[in-house]
Amino acid sequence: MKRRDFLRVSALASGALAVGINFAGCASARQRREIARVAQESGVFRPNAFVTVRPDSKVEILMPKSEMGQGVTTLFATLVAEELEVKVEDVEVTVAPPSQEEYGLMITGGSTSTPDSFFSIRTAAATAREMLLGAAAASWSVSRSELTVADGVISHKSNGKSEPIGTFAADAATQDIPKDPKLKKREEFKILGQRVTRVDAYAKVTGTATFGMDVQLPNMLNAYVVRPPVLGAPAKKIDDAEAKKVPGIVKIFAFERGVAIVAEKYWQAKMAAAKLEVTWGKGVLEGFDSEQLRQLSAAYSDKKPATAPRNDGNVKRALERDDVTVLDVVYDAPYLSHSPMSPMNCTIQVKGDSAEVWAPTQMQVFTAQVVAKVADVPQENVTVNTTFLGGGFGRRGIFDFIIETALIAREFDRPVKVIWSREDDTKFCYYRPQSYNRMRGAIDAEGNPVAWSHHNLSQSLIAQKDLLSEILPGWIPQAMNSMLSRASIGLFRSGTVPAVTALEGARDMPYKMDNVRVGYTPVVADVPVLFWRSVGHSFNGFVVESFIDEMAHAAKKDPFEYRRKLLDEHPRQKAVLELVAEKANWGKKMPAGFGQGIAQHHSFGSHCAQVIEAGVVDGKIVIEKVTAVIDCGFALNPDMVKAQIESGIIYGLSAAMFQEITFVNGAVQQANFDTYKSIRMFQSPEIEVHILNTDNDPTGVGEPGLPPAAPALANAIFAATGLRMRRMPFKPEFERLMAESRTRGEKKQTTASITEEVGQ
Amino acid sequence: MKLKINGEVKEVEVPDDVPLLWVIREELGLVGTKFGCGKALCGACTVHVDGKAVRSCSVGVGDIGEREVTTVEGIFEEGSLHPVQQAWIEENVPQCGYCQIGQIMSAVAMLAKTPNPTDEQIDAVMSANLCRCGTYPRIKRAIKRAVELSAEQKGGK
Repeated sequence: MKRRDFLRVSALASGALAVGINFAGCASARQRREIARVAQESGVFRPNAFVTVRPDSKVEILMPKSEMGQGVTTLFATLVAEELEVKVEDVEVTVAPPSQEEYGLMITGGSTSTPDSFFSIRTAAATAREMLLGAAAASWSVSRSELTVADGVISHKSNGKSEPIGTFAADAATQDIPKDPKLKKREEFKILGQRVTRVDAYAKVTGTATFGMDVQLPNMLNAYVVRPPVLGAPAKKIDDAEAKKVPGIVKIFAFERGVAIVAEKYWQAKMAAAKLEVTWGKGVLEGFDSEQLRQLSAAYSDKKPATAPRNDGNVKRALERDDVTVLDVVYDAPYLSHSPMSPMNCTIQVKGDSAEVWAPTQMQVFTAQVVAKVADVPQENVTVNTTFLGGGFGRRGIFDFIIETALIAREFDRPVKVIWSREDDTKFCYYRPQSYNRMRGAIDAEGNPVAWSHHNLSQSLIAQKDLLSEILPGWIPQAMNSMLSRASIGLFRSGTVPAVTALEGARDMPYKMDNVRVGYTPVVADVPVLFWRSVGHSFNGFVVESFIDEMAHAAKKDPFEYRRKLLDEHPRQKAVLELVAEKANWGKKMPAGFGQGIAQHHSFGSHCAQVIEAGVVDGKIVIEKVTAVIDCGFALNPDMVKAQIESGIIYGLSAAMFQEITFVNGAVQQANFDTYKSIRMFQSPEIEVHILNTDNDPTGVGEPGLPPAAPALANAIFAATGLRMRRMPFKPEFERLMAESRTRGEKKQTTASITEEVGQ
Repeated sequence: MKLKINGEVKEVEVPDDVPLLWVIREELGLVGTKFGCGKALCGACTVHVDGKAVRSCSVGVGDIGEREVTTVEGIFEEGSLHPVQQAWIEENVPQCGYCQIGQIMSAVAMLAKTPNPTDEQIDAVMSANLCRCGTYPRIKRAIKRAVELSAEQKGGK
C-alpha cells in the first residue's frame, strides 16, 4: 500500500509539473525568430501559442479548454479583449490542437479554467499589446508613452495619428518580447467584472453550433454499438442474418465493447440493431448488486477506517464521555450517471499512418495519445478537433467513447461516427461512486459539539481497475491522476491518495471542535467510477452539512447560529453564510408545511452558501426558492457566475431528489430519462444568486454551486416535516419515512402523525 | 416520398418508419435538431409539424404526409433572428446549448398559440423539454422577454 501510494504521488507530481503555460515570457532568440517567420509567411502576428493578431485587426485565440456550457469561450474572449484593448466581438476563440508542449495536458475539469487562465491568458494578450505598441511607436517615430490603445485602435495623444492594430501586425513580430508585460489593475478593467453576453449564444440559439454529433464528413460511415446486458460481457454468438438485410449495412462485427453495426446512415444501423441476435457471455460485473454493497458497507462501518487522514484530539474518548449526547447515523449516496443532454459520440478517420478525430472531449492530449495507440499511428499524426460539448459534468473527461470509435474506425478507410443511445449512455457510464457514511457526533450538556467522527466507505477514483486498461495498459491511472492533480492538488500532501476524492469536503470539515476523525475505507468493485460534477464534494457536502444541522437541532440551537459560531477560523465561509441568512431572511415565518434549510460549502477555491425554502404539498416535496451567495474572489463575468451557480443548484437538486443508478446482478436498472429523472421546469425553484465580491483572485464556479444544494434541501425538509433525509435520492426516502411514520401512528392509534400535519 | 420542410418540398428515399429526426439530420443534413433520448422524453428533437411542437425522434416520417415540417433552420434568416432567439441571447440562456434548439422550438410554438402565457402555461408546455445545465429560470425570463420583443416588433410595424 505504502509503495503504491508513493509511486502514485510521484506520478501526480510530474503530471502537475507538465501543466505549464508557455508564452513568450522569456524571450529567447529562437522564439523571436519563430515569431518573425510566422509574420513573414502569413502576415499575422503570433507572439505566443495563444494569441494571433491578423492584419484585419481580428484577434484569434487558441484555447486549451473545452466549452461544455461553463462559458470558457466567453472567459477567454474577455481576458484577451481586456488586455489587448480590443472589442470582445473581434476575438475569435478556437479550441487549441493537442500540444502538451504548448498548453500542458489540456484538461477541462476541477473548476480550474478561471484560475488557470486569469494571469496566463492576460499575460499572453498583454505581451501582444506591448509589441504592437512598440511597432506603432517605431513606425510613427514617436515615443511609446505618447500612444494609447482602445477598441483595437492605436492612437497618438497629440499628432492625430490613429490606426487599427492590424496595421502593425507584421512589424510587431520584430519587436523585443517584453519579459514582464504590465497587466492592468482591477480598477482599470473595462470588461472584466461586467456582464458580457456569451460569445457562443448566437450559434447556440440558431442551431449552427457544431456539437460532436453534428459532424458531417464526405463519405462518412455511421455506427451503433449493441452492448451487453452486463458490462464487459463478450458476444459469444451473433446471428446477423436479418440485420444484414437492412439496406446500407456495411459491416457487423464483435469487438471489445459489444457488436458494432456499421452502416451508411445511423438510422440504418439502429434498424439493424433491432434485428440482431446476440448470445452474451459473462461480464465482470456479473453478480454485483449495489444494495448488497450497501449492506456490506454497513457491516464494515463499525471497524476502524483503513486510513484516517484527519485525527484531531481523541474522538473515541470524547464519544465515550458520560456527559455527552451521542448521535450515530448513516448517510447514503448512490452511484450516479452524468447524463449530459447529448449522449456519447465521436467521429474518427484513420488514413494510412495518420488519424483525425472530431470529439466532444474534456481532454485533448490524452485523446491524441489513445487514438494513436489504438489506430497504431504516430501521436504527432493525430489531429484532434474539439467540438462543442453537449454537456460534460465530468463524463467527457474519460475516453471510452473515443477509444471505442477508434477501434471501429481503424477497420475502415472512411470516417466513422459512433452515436450512443440514451439507454447506453445511462448503462455504460463511469459513475459517481456510491458512498456509505457512518457519522458519529457528540454534544455536551450545553449543546456544544465535542466530537465528530466520519467514516466514508466508497470506491476510489484512482485505485480502480478498468476494462479498457486491457486494451491500453495504464491509461486510466495516468489520466485520473492528471485530472486529480488539477482538481485537488493541496490534498496530495496527505499521502493517502486514494482517499483524496473520497474525502474532499469531509477531511476539511470546517466547524471548530476538539475531537475530529475523518476516515476512509476503500471499496473494491469493478464498477467504473469517475469525476461527477464537484466529485467528492457532491456527497461530502451533503453529509457534513446535514450532520452539523442534526447536531444543531440536537443542541436545540438555531442551525444558522450554531454554524456561525463554529466558523471563526474560516472567515470566507462565515461571510457567505451570514450574507445568505440575511438575503433569505433566515428565520422568517414560513407557511404551514414549509421550512427553511441552510448549508454552506467550500470547494475548488470558492465558497457558496444556500438557503432553501421547501415543504410538502399533497405528500410531495416542493422546492419553492433557493437563495445563494457565492464568493469566487473577483467575479469576472457576474451574470455567467450566476448562471453557473443556478446550474449547479439544479443539477444538484436533480440528484438529491430523483437520481440513483442501481445494479442488480451486474445490470444497471435505469435506462432513459423516465427512469433516471431530472428536475423539469415545473419543479424548478425560483433561484436568487448573490455575488460576494472579494479581493481574492478569481476561482471557478462550475462546481461550487452544487454541494450546498442537497443538504440545504434536506435541512429544509427536516424543518418542515421533522423527517431527516439521510439517503439520496430524497423522493423515495421521503415516501419510505412517511409510510413508516404512518405505520407508527396507526400502532399508537394517534391522529397526530406527520402525514396529517404536512398533508393538508 | 415527398416531405414539405421549411417551405420547400424534398424527395427522400427512406422507409416510412424511419424517425423524422434522422431523416431531418441524415437525409437532409439539417443538424440543428438534436438527438437526446429517442423516446420523446427530453424534447431536444422538437420541430413543428403544421405549427405544433412535435418530438421528431418518435414520429415516423411516413406519418407526416402532406403536413409542413419546420426546423430551427426555418424559423429565422441570417441577420434577423426570431424574437424568441433574440430573447434567449439577451437573457444569456444557453450553457452547453444542446437542448436549447428544442426549447426554442417549443417556446415558438407555444407563443404562436398563446402570445402572452402565464407562468403555469409556461411550466406546462416547457416541462416537456429537459435541460441538464438547469437553464429553466432563464428560459422562463426569456419567454417573457420574447413576448415584449414581439409586441415591440408589432408596434413598430
